[in-house]
Amino acid sequence: MAIVSFILNGKPVSCDVPAEETLVDTIRRRFKLTGTKKGCGTGDCGACTVLLDGDAVRSCTLLTGMVHGRSVTTIEGVGTMDRLHPVQQAFVDVNAIQCGYCIPGMVLTAIALLNRNPDPDEAEIREAISGNLCRCTGYQKIVEAISLAAKRMREAGEEAAR
Amino acid sequence: MKEKYIGQRVTRPDALAKVTGQAQFAADIAVHRDDLLHAKALYPPYGHARILSIDTSEAEHMPGVVCVMTAKDLPAGCTNKYGADEPDKPIFAENKIVYEGDAVAAVAAETLAQAEAAAAKIRVTYESLPAYEDPRELRETYPSPIHENHPISGQSPVSLSATVRNGDPGPAFEQADVVLDHWYRTPMADHAYLEPDVCIVEPDPVQGGFTIWSPQHAVQNAKQDMAKLFGLPQSKVRVIGTLAGGGFGGKEDSTYDVSTVAAALAMKTGKPVSFEFTRDEVFRNTGKRHAEQIHHRLAADKEGNILAIDVDAVIDKGAYRSVDILPYRGSYYAGGPYKIPVSHAKAESVFTNHPYGCAFRGLGVPQATFAMEGQMDYLAAELGMDPLQLRLKNIARAGDRLHMGQVMLEERGLGLEECLLKAADAIGWKDRAKTGYYDNRGTVKRGKGIACFLYGIGTGSSPDGAHCLVQAQRDGSFNVQVSQSELGQGLLAAMSQIAADALGVTLDKIQVDYADTAASLLAGPTTSSRSTMYVGNALLSACKILTDRFLGYAEGVLRVGKSNLAIEDNMVMVKGKPETAVPLAEIVEGAYTAQIPLAAIGSWYPPRVFFNEDMTNDQMHTYTFGACAVEIAVDTETGIIAVERCLLAADVGKAINPDTVEGQMQGGLTQGIGWSVMEEIFMENGRMKNHSYHDYLIPTAMDVPDMETIIVEHPSDLGPCGAKGIGEPPLVATAPAIRSAFWDATGIFIDEIPLTPVRVMKALKRKDCAE
Ligand code: FES
Ligand code: FES
Repeated sequence: MAIVSFILNGKPVSCDVPAEETLVDTIRRRFKLTGTKKGCGTGDCGACTVLLDGDAVRSCTLLTGMVHGRSVTTIEGVGTMDRLHPVQQAFVDVNAIQCGYCIPGMVLTAIALLNRNPDPDEAEIREAISGNLCRCTGYQKIVEAISLAAKRMREAGEEAAR
Repeated sequence: MKEKYIGQRVTRPDALAKVTGQAQFAADIAVHRDDLLHAKALYPPYGHARILSIDTSEAEHMPGVVCVMTAKDLPAGCTNKYGADEPDKPIFAENKIVYEGDAVAAVAAETLAQAEAAAAKIRVTYESLPAYEDPRELRETYPSPIHENHPISGQSPVSLSATVRNGDPGPAFEQADVVLDHWYRTPMADHAYLEPDVCIVEPDPVQGGFTIWSPQHAVQNAKQDMAKLFGLPQSKVRVIGTLAGGGFGGKEDSTYDVSTVAAALAMKTGKPVSFEFTRDEVFRNTGKRHAEQIHHRLAADKEGNILAIDVDAVIDKGAYRSVDILPYRGSYYAGGPYKIPVSHAKAESVFTNHPYGCAFRGLGVPQATFAMEGQMDYLAAELGMDPLQLRLKNIARAGDRLHMGQVMLEERGLGLEECLLKAADAIGWKDRAKTGYYDNRGTVKRGKGIACFLYGIGTGSSPDGAHCLVQAQRDGSFNVQVSQSELGQGLLAAMSQIAADALGVTLDKIQVDYADTAASLLAGPTTSSRSTMYVGNALLSACKILTDRFLGYAEGVLRVGKSNLAIEDNMVMVKGKPETAVPLAEIVEGAYTAQIPLAAIGSWYPPRVFFNEDMTNDQMHTYTFGACAVEIAVDTETGIIAVERCLLAADVGKAINPDTVEGQMQGGLTQGIGWSVMEEIFMENGRMKNHSYHDYLIPTAMDVPDMETIIVEHPSDLGPCGAKGIGEPPLVATAPAIRSAFWDATGIFIDEIPLTPVRVMKALKRKDCAE
């Protein structure tokens, strides 16, 4: 067991975890943040995606000990039901959600993409989410939602700059 | 009824909770409870073996272990046999393993890690047996080497056999100008829903029995089947279908694979137990799309009229019966949407040591359609006809008969011709024949393909009806109680849209109580694309009963006959005089005081069907039709097929919510592309070789193009507002459309999918040799 301290959704936390524990289990079982989903546990589906210092990573392939001193954001940390993040709002507006199991991971991957590249084209969006499997939607409305969010975020940015 | 919400792109009620991670799936509910025991089961490293001994003594003494169970420890009264159709699968294998998903033992412990550690200490000795994997060989092998005494099939290797005999095809084949004779092969496929199978089972110490929380297709069926398995009265089992992280037909059965084990442990320990499959277990243990080998013979004249078909489909049933209406469907859909006067169509499902074949989007129809549409392209090639024109010539229009004798009825909505024309137009079909349209001299070759289908809505077996309950609350809001499940398809949206319009209230007044056997009535499963039509109709009937009652009461309040009253926007008003109105809430409250019941049961049954002795029938009352068109690029150096365009024109009768209809179309097409070019399960000695998302590839965002969707609406007189169903149909014709485009690109027909690079390279090489 080792004490791991990190920032979780903006708040400092620490926990005592066995060396082999993965971040997805720490987030879900210890912190009860069940918005992060586990679809495979082998790093292949992307449902467990979280942001680590702003980058999208798979929390099932990351040992909890490795996030010591770093900042982790889960879906619970990006928006709430009455204050959605623009990416979340766009997913709702284009009805990009079906079963919803892949959606938290998709949203976080999209946020990381838009932070890096505020004006991605369709191919760049598809590439960015290609590690996030979705078996329901055929990806199309998800791609549409991410472009819509990008457009709205750029417009809001220009507005603010004015 | 005024259609205010029906037909609109209403936001799904579950969207906000899902996009913020607040929606709880069954595994999440388990995390938030701290009173659960955790289960782990032990599965054999064989596809076929005899169990010689099981030693659980070491496991029993491991830390945290509360209970270790094998078949001999099952509670008294348990039959140790379950299944979605007929019970034949044991919770724990007794002396033989027939596929690698047969549980041998299970542990319940305080933590999951403890359960896993203990399960690893159970010692089992096996005698390995040869695995039987070829259904064509096996169907001739009597007695079956797999089941020594199957509860339904006895010693027969065949699970079920069905044959349509409509006339004698002999003379037609003798007189035909063209006879086509081909074998088509389609693979097993995994549903690959993102949410692994999971459940919580909690015993009821007060009244006995237990409650199950798990993603479900059919809570009422699960209730009946679980009660039967454990020898309990059906009233003692409550099943709550949690939000499902995808199902696609698979969770109809696989949910039993977890809940039977958890229920056995819960009953033994008296404690609530949760059990979740790992992804590896989902791949190895749960049901698959049935692999099929279809021998399809077709006779035609030189004008391209189909004279007869003669079909023999061999279906890989896998180890257990599960949902086994596949032979019925294989024979029923063998002739596609075409007028065919004479038919002999046989289909048989044969036991193997593979994972059991179960329902998967389309349930046998994609397989049958691949064969029939394949024949249409062969015929077009043989006669030098345009494949589109050949189809337009042969599709059954009003008054025409399908191969099994069914007469097509205009009033049920026959939109196939429109679908074909629109799909062809959108894909640019007329350019296809132009020489030089594609520059196919290079190594990447392009082509276009088209294929069409029909898909019957509902299970097609009587009685197949639905009931629901609608309860008005005294404030003018309503509980709509349906036993259907929210699998992601948009049940909550569709049900609230229909109910709000039928009651004349705003959407915020509607609460859909779904998938809970304690709060709903028998309504059949959420499968076979039937919910919108069946439950939608039942809902309309319940709402009608209630609005009649409330308007009857309002007559006295507004002093106007009820035929001149309407409910709109939560107000009861005089038609044409919206200023004379009272809030519906007041009318409901008044009705309540006047002792008028505030709840109503609505029911709907389709016309009853009966089979004739020769199996000719009109089992399906309503069809969704569609035409899929694709454009692909074949890289002849790597064998990789890129699907560059994919579109579907589908006649859905009426789109209740165009967003969810498009969502179903886009998702179904994508699964179709996966099945056509990527997804394949490799078995070796009865063991699955590719049991992760790493080795079993499903389409990613980069593997599929934008899906073009065209909604066509030829209403069925039976549907709510004309609606049919759209859950399964989108996948049905993708594979033959891609095969057709491959032919256009390369001049080669491939009769086996998936068109993986290996298969494509082989086919290209064969052609090179031939040339
Ligand atoms: S759960 Fe982590 S990638 Fe699938
Ligand atoms: S919405 Fe179901 S997996 Fe993406």
